[in-house]
Amino acid sequence: MGIILTTLTYAAYVFIIVMYVRKAVRYARMPPHLRWDLYPVMHESRSEYGGSYYEDPEWWTKPQRKKIIKSILFIIKDNFYLGEYFHLNRGYWIFLLPWHFGFILIITLHILCFWGALAMVMGLSVSYESANFIGKAFYYSILLTGVGSFVAGSLGSIGMVIKRLSDRSLRAYASPMHYFNYFFLLAVFLSGLYVWYFTDPTFSEYREFWKGLITFNPKNVAPAAAIHIALFALLLLYLPFTRSMHYIIRFFAFLRVRWDDEPNLRGSRIEKRVQKWLNQPLDWSAPHIPTGKKWTDLTSDLTFSGQIKDR
Amino acid sequence: MKKEITISDISRKCDQLTEIDKEVLIPLPYPYEHTNIELPIKRLSEEEKTRYEASLDGISAIGILKPKSKREEDELVGKFLSGLQKLFSEENNWTFLQPLMLSLEYCGKCLTCSGACPIYIASGKQEIYRPTYRSELLRRIKEKYLDKTGKITAWFKGSNIELNWLTIARLGELAYRCTLCRRCAQVCSRGIDNGLITREIRKLFSQELGIAPKELHEKGTIQQLKIGSTTGMNPAAFKDNIEFIEEEIHEKTGKKIRIPIDKKGADILLIHNAGEYLSWPENPEAFFIIFETAGLDWTLSSELVGYDAVNFGVWYDDIQLSRIALRHAKIAKDLNVKRIVIGECGHAHKAFITVADRILTGDLNIPRESCFTLLDDILQNGKLKLNPKKNVFPVTLHDPCNIVRSMGVVMPQRRILKKVCSQFREMDPHGVGNYCCGGGSGFTLLSSRNFPQWRSAISGRIKLKQILETFHDVITPEIKKYVCAPCSSCKGQIRALFNDYKVWDKCSIFYGGIVELIANAMADIKEPFINWECR
Repeated sequence: MGIILTTLTYAAYVFIIVMYVRKAVRYARMPPHLRWDLYPVMHESRSEYGGSYYEDPEWWTKPQRKKIIKSILFIIKDNFYLGEYFHLNRGYWIFLLPWHFGFILIITLHILCFWGALAMVMGLSVSYESANFIGKAFYYSILLTGVGSFVAGSLGSIGMVIKRLSDRSLRAYASPMHYFNYFFLLAVFLSGLYVWYFTDPTFSEYREFWKGLITFNPKNVAPAAAIHIALFALLLLYLPFTRSMHYIIRFFAFLRVRWDDEPNLRGSRIEKRVQKWLNQPLDWSAPHIPTGKKWTDLTSDLTFSGQIKDR
Repeated sequence: MKKEITISDISRKCDQLTEIDKEVLIPLPYPYEHTNIELPIKRLSEEEKTRYEASLDGISAIGILKPKSKREEDELVGKFLSGLQKLFSEENNWTFLQPLMLSLEYCGKCLTCSGACPIYIASGKQEIYRPTYRSELLRRIKEKYLDKTGKITAWFKGSNIELNWLTIARLGELAYRCTLCRRCAQVCSRGIDNGLITREIRKLFSQELGIAPKELHEKGTIQQLKIGSTTGMNPAAFKDNIEFIEEEIHEKTGKKIRIPIDKKGADILLIHNAGEYLSWPENPEAFFIIFETAGLDWTLSSELVGYDAVNFGVWYDDIQLSRIALRHAKIAKDLNVKRIVIGECGHAHKAFITVADRILTGDLNIPRESCFTLLDDILQNGKLKLNPKKNVFPVTLHDPCNIVRSMGVVMPQRRILKKVCSQFREMDPHGVGNYCCGGGSGFTLLSSRNFPQWRSAISGRIKLKQILETFHDVITPEIKKYVCAPCSSCKGQIRALFNDYKVWDKCSIFYGGIVELIANAMADIKEPFINWECR
């Protein structure tokens, strides 16, 4: 049993990391696009009212001061707060927030378990009796994040199902996949809750399992814990096929599209990147498209601009 | 009980998917709250119904011709699928691939965006006008017909949608029920942009199927490239217009101004929406007076395309967008000007200053700026003698979406208005949170069949409501009021709204640009520059 769980957990982590990195790289390597800014742009000094550097006379002669960190902090903060939902869709937010927190905390739990196990391997005692502060800190943080995740996640999953089913419009836009996701996550959270409440109230078994993982020394666990571990591993294998990556993708959507206000100044990095794509031949089929010609040819090309016809 | 429309209904054969019920439209305030004078939306004639596809909501914006045979139907489906493939390929759609993919792949379907959409709200929450409705359609079609495992996972992912010519034609029409105002995108915490998806649908139709509203394409971008302007004004007519404007300035103000045309090496090339010369010549007149009084070194261009700042491509077609932007840039380069200033035209601002920015490389990359920053600079530096007491009437500002939400130019126009008007008041909401006039993304220009009535009844409804509410305390027709709408397209839409609802007669609310208010406040112009005459 221990070997199966260990192998499954390893496979799940490798798989999700590979898939997420692949997706992120795919987005990062996409061609430069035309600008499609949407204000307020958070890194602008005038973001409070949505202003941009275009408000400056002869803006191209003024230095550009971007506060990228402000944008990044905004996105991170919003991952925990979900501000737009809070302000505009409170009935949804009230269920979405605990669901999100359940997810965030279960990931945090596993990160803590990894580092806690590493500390244990190095000889540190991770328990409430530990003489070392770090040992105690690991013990309590694992306990709190675990319980917090299972409780918030269970409530959130149930709440999301109720919300989706009870709201006619939300129901119309939901697919079987939505409900499958809610129930899958509910199973993960509830199994964790069961383990904590009935079989492993201090997560000592779980920490031992993790110690076994990082020392390549598989540990057997009680059936309830085994079910939870297997479900979580299966969740990791399934997540890349869902929209779960939006936590990360948001950075692309905001930093690379919505707030991408980098002007194309002469000799700039963006000008160099775009050049390759401007030499791309056109391959659309409508009558006004000069198929085969390049974007750069469009400066002079009017011969293919189509006929004026009355419809 | 009324049957609710679902996504998959889009493929269902029926005479009309949605009937617009005037009883459910959001109510308007005084003096329109009891009168129930809803604009009748004309039903299409039997001949039009036979000819055009309008089974979505009984409205025809594009005029998609009904196929005459099964072969034509299949051809439409085939072309759509080929366009769909191109939309998701780097080679064919590098211009917007990343934003499109991000918006399509990560929508959480929470529907938070719906509450931000003025069309959805004004229509009494018609399901088909929900911002996510058309996005979800494209998403499901793409998932089922383009993704490798699409047909296997269709049921599980909910993308089980039938792709027939009716689905396609309705999707095409649906892409012209959104003004691309992007309020929905602003409230999405995942960064999903339904406005962008709408534009990509329009693009697919235009670039692959050759289908676009004739007002935007044949009589829009094509006419502009061939004749010089979407108004049909050729270079000779433009020069005549300028002569006429010189005379009119002299008559109105006593100022003798020689308007510079094709002056090489000038500091500024000023480009207006050419519609201004024909519909609101007082707007370019005011610009010319201000520029000359401020002592700027500037010029106009009389080259083909060079005297019309519009670029309708920004609403529906990347190729046309590029053609026009490149042409504008080349004209500026040939004139050897140092910068280009865009007049009061929202989409021209966005198209030329931001969206086309990355197409303009090397010596075609000439700095471009908004007229509002320049005008603000002129006023702040005291280059004009002003008397704000000459504008002694309530004034409010309509923010064109393309200038605020898409460019972040928010404060200069406010600083100007506070300097030249003694009774300026804001709308609510305003700035980057404003409501679209209802004529955005080319709607103002779409004049075929029954679309203009739909536009006045639905897409412009919230703006009209907002204007009336802003002036609620002075709504009586005895007090003249001014809506400053510094954008040709917005002005066109407000003109239509005001005419259809008889706003001038009932409330004495006038509309115009920002420079007219500046000229009206200029101390050395004795006669009022603003002529309170609704056109």
